[in-house]
Amino acid sequence: MVRELIDAIGEQAVVWHDEDLIVYEYDGTIDRGNPDVIALPATTEDVVNLIKIANKYEAPVTPRGAGTGLSGGALAAKGGVIIGMNRMRAIFDIDVENKTALVQPGVVNLDLGAEAERHGLAYAPDPSSQRACTIGGNVAENAGGPHTLAWGTTTNHVLALELVTADGEVQWIGHETRDEPGYDLVGCVVGSEGTVGIVTQALVRLVPRPTAVRTLLAVYDSVRQASNAVSAVVASGIVPAALEMIDKMTIAAVEPVLNTGFPLDAEAVLLVEVDGPDSQVEAEGARVEGILNRFEPREVRSATDPEDRETLWAGRKGAIGALGQIMPNYYLLDGVVPRTKLPDVLDSVYEIAERYRLPVANMFHAGDGNLHPCLLFDEREPGATERVLDAGGEIMRLCVDAGGAITGEHGVGLEKRDYLPWIFSEEDMDAMKSLRAAFGPTENFNPCKIFPKGHGCGEAGHQHAQHQIAKFGPKAFV
Amino acid sequence: MADAEPAEVAAVQSLFDNVDTDGAHLQRYEIDGQVPRAAISANTIDDIERAHSVATSRDLAVIPIGGRTMLGLGMPPRRYDVALDMSGMDQVVDYEPDDFTISAQAGMTLASLQQVLAANGQFLPLDHPRFEQATLGGICAVGRGGLRRNSLGGPRDWLIGMRMVKADGTTIKGGGKVVKNVSGYDLPKLFAGSLGTLGAIAEVTFKLRPQPASDQVVALSADSFEQALAASRAAARAAPFLDGCLALSAQAAERAASHGAEILDDRPALVLRASGLESAADEVLASALDAAGLAGLHDPPRRTTAIVESWQAIVDCELDTPADHVRLRLGLPPGNLERARSLIDEHLPEVSSWVAAGDSGLLFVTTPSVDAVTISSLRNALGPLQGRLTIESASVELKRAADVWGPAGPGARLMHRVKEQFDPNGTLNPGRYVDGI
Repeated sequence: MVRELIDAIGEQAVVWHDEDLIVYEYDGTIDRGNPDVIALPATTEDVVNLIKIANKYEAPVTPRGAGTGLSGGALAAKGGVIIGMNRMRAIFDIDVENKTALVQPGVVNLDLGAEAERHGLAYAPDPSSQRACTIGGNVAENAGGPHTLAWGTTTNHVLALELVTADGEVQWIGHETRDEPGYDLVGCVVGSEGTVGIVTQALVRLVPRPTAVRTLLAVYDSVRQASNAVSAVVASGIVPAALEMIDKMTIAAVEPVLNTGFPLDAEAVLLVEVDGPDSQVEAEGARVEGILNRFEPREVRSATDPEDRETLWAGRKGAIGALGQIMPNYYLLDGVVPRTKLPDVLDSVYEIAERYRLPVANMFHAGDGNLHPCLLFDEREPGATERVLDAGGEIMRLCVDAGGAITGEHGVGLEKRDYLPWIFSEEDMDAMKSLRAAFGPTENFNPCKIFPKGHGCGEAGHQHAQHQIAKFGPKAFV
Repeated sequence: MADAEPAEVAAVQSLFDNVDTDGAHLQRYEIDGQVPRAAISANTIDDIERAHSVATSRDLAVIPIGGRTMLGLGMPPRRYDVALDMSGMDQVVDYEPDDFTISAQAGMTLASLQQVLAANGQFLPLDHPRFEQATLGGICAVGRGGLRRNSLGGPRDWLIGMRMVKADGTTIKGGGKVVKNVSGYDLPKLFAGSLGTLGAIAEVTFKLRPQPASDQVVALSADSFEQALAASRAAARAAPFLDGCLALSAQAAERAASHGAEILDDRPALVLRASGLESAADEVLASALDAAGLAGLHDPPRRTTAIVESWQAIVDCELDTPADHVRLRLGLPPGNLERARSLIDEHLPEVSSWVAAGDSGLLFVTTPSVDAVTISSLRNALGPLQGRLTIESASVELKRAADVWGPAGPGARLMHRVKEQFDPNGTLNPGRYVDGI
């Protein structure tokens, strides 16, 4: 098979030596997967040929972007071929008049943002990994980011896709103005985690750049105060562009590295951004500041010019990287709850982490109710990984019991597939599987992802979910 | 069917609960001249499940029906045995205002929902014609963004969860009750816009927005629709944060005026809408009005305090097509609107009304007469402009001859396979959708 792959796309584009494959065993999760070979196509035709060769040998196919994913979606759970899309990174066209961009999937999110900015426009979804992550990966995971509070997630910004399905057929789906009659196939493919096909081109929507932006940062002495301030901002009728929180552990990690100037004894920092026309930003900024002040902050900072705003954001966007200061490993969760449940759920998160003797750093999209508890550990310590996974399962259960879901923007992937029955019945999952089946022979296409453990996938991933399910019951919420 | 034998009708009716046996009532559910043999009122999800299982086992075709505002959409049904009336399922299921989400049964009207939300200073940002009659389920099944879709998006963008009953009577759900959620495939998006061909939508959950502090609508008269359209493009370019930006022909303006849009009269018009904090809405409107002035619209702008009524009157125009006229809907990149207008002018001998959304790339055209050959050549001509032309209202003959959806696009192969997976017997809404689905 390797020989055929090399014949199809050239020796330089195929990676198959053991020492080179190691790089592709990882993504941003704890799980690992061992691919047999990596193929790096340059064109849509290459992708078609690769899929056909893999199908001929009944080899699993796993699409991969930058490998920054946080649910194991880009791991080769059953071995086989990883199709890495990084060489397909052209921005073909920015249509200023109609506010769209036509790009290849390997384009880095921030590069598209920068190109759009040159034309006075913006690409709204901005996951924290945006310096590295690719549009193809964003489409697969329906990526979010801090600014999705006002603008929505990736699915609200993808108009049409060129898709190579599992049977190697190429087709465009969707339409520039969503006027293609028929089912919303684009809506189905976005967020399908690479399980129904590989996206080879994407037509995305760009949005006007706001004429003004103001970022406010408030420091609080308790997480409760900060949470209450979040609720008050949301209830005020203002829809901020972003509404983020970081807690004490995160502050402790980022401060020494990024010199953000956060007081180390503060319990929580809130970031609120408002944007739009000048007068809107002026008035809303003042109102938000008033609300933040009502909850007795230690201080409120504010910035309007890009460089100062970047400084305020540095502590949030650089948080994950900085956590290495505290512990060598982290397990980043992605629970989502109704906004009113946020303060109670946060309290419980701290309680669970304490019970499992794990440091926890919280940095998250407070305005969306999307939590990212980050459990810190050292995998060299015996039993630590198991403890982290158990605590993670309990936190996910907590979110489900609060009426929420197991993932807001990172995807189910390999990591959370056994938790899916906590929110969906067999019938729900069967309907999802039947949608997958419509895209062709997808059993070998990014196998072992999203749906609970099936045949042949038990060896990949971890067994801990079973333990959690035994503890909480398989259908407690359904 | 209209001509079914009474014995046959009785046999079908005897299979179901909650059957409306009054023959005259059945006329309410007429679609393209076809009347069902039985109408069932669903009051619970159980009712839908039972109706679907019976229908599937007896090979009867079911059409789920909401507020009956857009029954003319799509191709004439291939078969039509049972109308499943969802309008009795009209309750709020779950509403915690501070969560900014609401779950409601599919038969609730958009107007009732907005009323519930308004009491808490919130709203669902969707435009839909006849919103006092149109149901949430129907709006989602039709699934299209309205005249403000550039700023608001469509139902797909606000839906976060859905409960639906498949043809075999199985109830499934997708999404959830949180504003951000990627757990499992996005089934609500699959069902939004599926025109009831995959299942009956039973319950929907939306994310919501706070009502803006200020909401403003202004109208300016133009010399011609052409001029109004050019001004709408100029305004959309100059003020990208506009909430709405419409160009109306004289006839369209007059009709909207007669429905209660007090800022319109019998002249072509540009209608602008801006919202947000008052100063911000003012700022956006000011740049749009400057651009409109440069585009030659010099009459003083007329303002109104009856925002919702005036706007809704314009939105309602879409469904106000005389029975013997044909209404076309064209969606295309907004930058191509003006060229599309000229092409339509060249192809159609007479246009009785035009409504365009200058920022959203939407054009509604009403014409007294058009034949299938003209539609086909118009579609070909609009192809290079990325235009998608659908026939929204026409005689059954024209619908069949010209195919209301147009030629099947590249996604048709996948769409047939999706239908095959969800409704293999073709129980639901057979023949009305794209490419014979």
